[in-house]
Amino acid sequence: MAIVVPALLLALLVALFFVAERRWPARVDRFEENVLASLLAIITFVSFTQVIARYGFNTGWSGALEFTRILFAWMILFGMGFGIKRSIHLGVDAFVRLLPAGIFRWVAVFGAFATFLYAFLLLYAAWLVLLGIDVSTNWRQTGAIGYWTFMYNLGTGLDDLRYPELLQNLFGLQERVHRWIAYLMLPIGLALLAFRAFEAMIAILRGERELVIAGHEAEELVSEHKDALKD
Amino acid sequence: MEAAILFILVLVLLFLGVPVAVSLGLSSIIIIALFSQDSMSSVALQLFTASQNYTLLAIPFFVLASAFMSTGGVAARIIRFAIASVGHIKGGLAIASVLACMLFAALSGSSPATVVAIGTIAIAGMRQVGYSRDFAAGIIANAGTLGILIPPSIVMVVYSAATDVSVGRMFLAGVVPGLVAGLMLMVAIYVMARVKNLPAEDWKGFGEIIAGGKEAGWGLFLIIIILGGIYGGVFTPTEAAAVAAVYAFFVALFIYRDMGPLKGVRWIQETDSKRSRIGFSSLVYAAAFFFVFMILSFFVTAEWEGVSARGRAIVGLVLSLAIMVAYAVWRDRESNPFNIPGYLVAGLPIWGRNFALMGRNFHRMFFNEDTRKVMTEASKTTIMLMFIIVNALLFAHVLTSERIPDAITDLMLNYGFNWFTFLIAVNLLLLLGGQFMEPSGLLLIVAPVVFPIAMELGVDPVHLGIIMVVNMEIGMITPPIGLNLFVTSGITGMSLIQVVRAALPFVAVLFAFLILVTYVPVLSTWLPYSLMGPEIVTR
Repeated sequence: MAIVVPALLLALLVALFFVAERRWPARVDRFEENVLASLLAIITFVSFTQVIARYGFNTGWSGALEFTRILFAWMILFGMGFGIKRSIHLGVDAFVRLLPAGIFRWVAVFGAFATFLYAFLLLYAAWLVLLGIDVSTNWRQTGAIGYWTFMYNLGTGLDDLRYPELLQNLFGLQERVHRWIAYLMLPIGLALLAFRAFEAMIAILRGERELVIAGHEAEELVSEHKDALKD
Repeated sequence: MEAAILFILVLVLLFLGVPVAVSLGLSSIIIIALFSQDSMSSVALQLFTASQNYTLLAIPFFVLASAFMSTGGVAARIIRFAIASVGHIKGGLAIASVLACMLFAALSGSSPATVVAIGTIAIAGMRQVGYSRDFAAGIIANAGTLGILIPPSIVMVVYSAATDVSVGRMFLAGVVPGLVAGLMLMVAIYVMARVKNLPAEDWKGFGEIIAGGKEAGWGLFLIIIILGGIYGGVFTPTEAAAVAAVYAFFVALFIYRDMGPLKGVRWIQETDSKRSRIGFSSLVYAAAFFFVFMILSFFVTAEWEGVSARGRAIVGLVLSLAIMVAYAVWRDRESNPFNIPGYLVAGLPIWGRNFALMGRNFHRMFFNEDTRKVMTEASKTTIMLMFIIVNALLFAHVLTSERIPDAITDLMLNYGFNWFTFLIAVNLLLLLGGQFMEPSGLLLIVAPVVFPIAMELGVDPVHLGIIMVVNMEIGMITPPIGLNLFVTSGITGMSLIQVVRAALPFVAVLFAFLILVTYVPVLSTWLPYSLMGPEIVTR
């Protein structure tokens, strides 16, 4: 597979998110929340049952550890973009808030742009050559998309995680789960992060949103209990 | 050169309001692209590998456990128990608030959650009996910081992930300093209460302590599972955290019923007769004791030879039967053991009603809006922390590959630092950094630089970790960016300046505590080393 194919698929996915959000914003919100909640629930459930199985019954699933760790990474990678959308990522807002309103907005746009740049560089960095920076243009080394494509073509398996026997027989699959399946969330998560950061940039420019960051980790907690004890 | 660019880039991005995680990550990427031969693919892969870290996998579980335990009901039960225990001392309500914060900290690894959960109840209570608002708010803001010192603590997990010090030892190391810090705050309050002549609560007797302890006990058993499991060598910290998360879920939904479909439905209803209550309670105590006994004996005897699960179960069964009989005889007006079967039968309808209720709602006990909300909140907190952590790991990797820690180590040794002056420098660095950064991110940036120097100077790794955590605590209650100050000001409606001034006398206490912890290493090292043996640093 050439690197163009996954790049196009990612663009399609982002477009899908964009359109779905225009039509059903509440549902997309709930979908994202449910994905994260389910991932956390599955990780917890598998880890807990593994503990019980191992210490209670001296048995266990050899792929469990790898499985939970992959889902943990999925949760973080999928959640990065969601975090930008909901402004849960921490930042220092004390200094920008001292700036006059006009400059403040442009600095806020820069905050979103830096996030976009971060995600985009990790997805595909070969364009840096155009700026005269010496980076590798070998497509395998250009970032998450290139790496994922490389893994897909290679087709190697994970260390411990195996396909169920049924699937192996039914589809003639190899024994170990393909590595590219585990890495799937890397380009997807970064693409969603880039998308959300771009969205935030537009929203700030239009004056619909103030900043991409939260000033401190308990902003939501405080707003829920705001002035609970005020006289 | 590269080091200078790296640090300046991070600081500039940070102060321009770029998310902390992105400031760290983007600067690292730029440095790698400009000066290093590493490909961007390997950086992206590192992002994935860092997200898979097994030690850090404990974080979502602890966050989840604390989210289930942060419902109002648990805090109220803990406060009741605390007031029953120490409320009768002069300034008792304030001292009880500190105790409640300490107990709550043992269920939750988060300071702001402690402030909100305990603060909303305790501050109102203190004001009712005539404490000033400033005094009450100052106490809660300070005592709330114990959340990250008393295990379980997310900051300690992060320190362990950064330095390979064992999480179990770090948790145990936090116990004694946590108790000392709490005691110091209590003594300070007691002295102030004497001077200001603050009121004491009435002594309600040991019955109230037992009644309160019984209620709070279900929640507090969580910390026994975590510490017992790790200390007994039975669980890895990550496994203990997973068990704790499931236990917290079970207690919140099935036992306390603070959320979910059975919210507010009590186990025993007003209409139940005294006979059936005795029967029901005696069986509950027997079952609870059996459960606790099986878990504790499992932790203690895990390494012993010749102890089987069956043997433990038989011993447990006999002991719980004894407890059942003792309780029933004690509550029975005639004290006649032959009445017990009658009581047990009379208690059956209560069991039947509750199990029928749970059976009918079985599916909804697991899938309901309250649980979904807690899971979502927990995953949001996890993502916020982990996004910073993985990028800080990336940053630390760039630091190390540029050999910056080595250069700083040489520099500091050349200047003739010894462990005494070095620890002053560490404290200053962390106090300064703590004003601008989220604790776990700061820790991950500072640890790779400071840790090798500390080892060179013979500082104990566990001790260093505790020093760092105490510094983070102080960072939470000192302006400009003090998390607990924001939270306290938010819930009380006081201005930030007012809260800062209110917290100040107790901040002084914590400073004294920091000096104590820094120069009395045995406070931190005694418990973990006597239970688990010394930490060995392999480099």
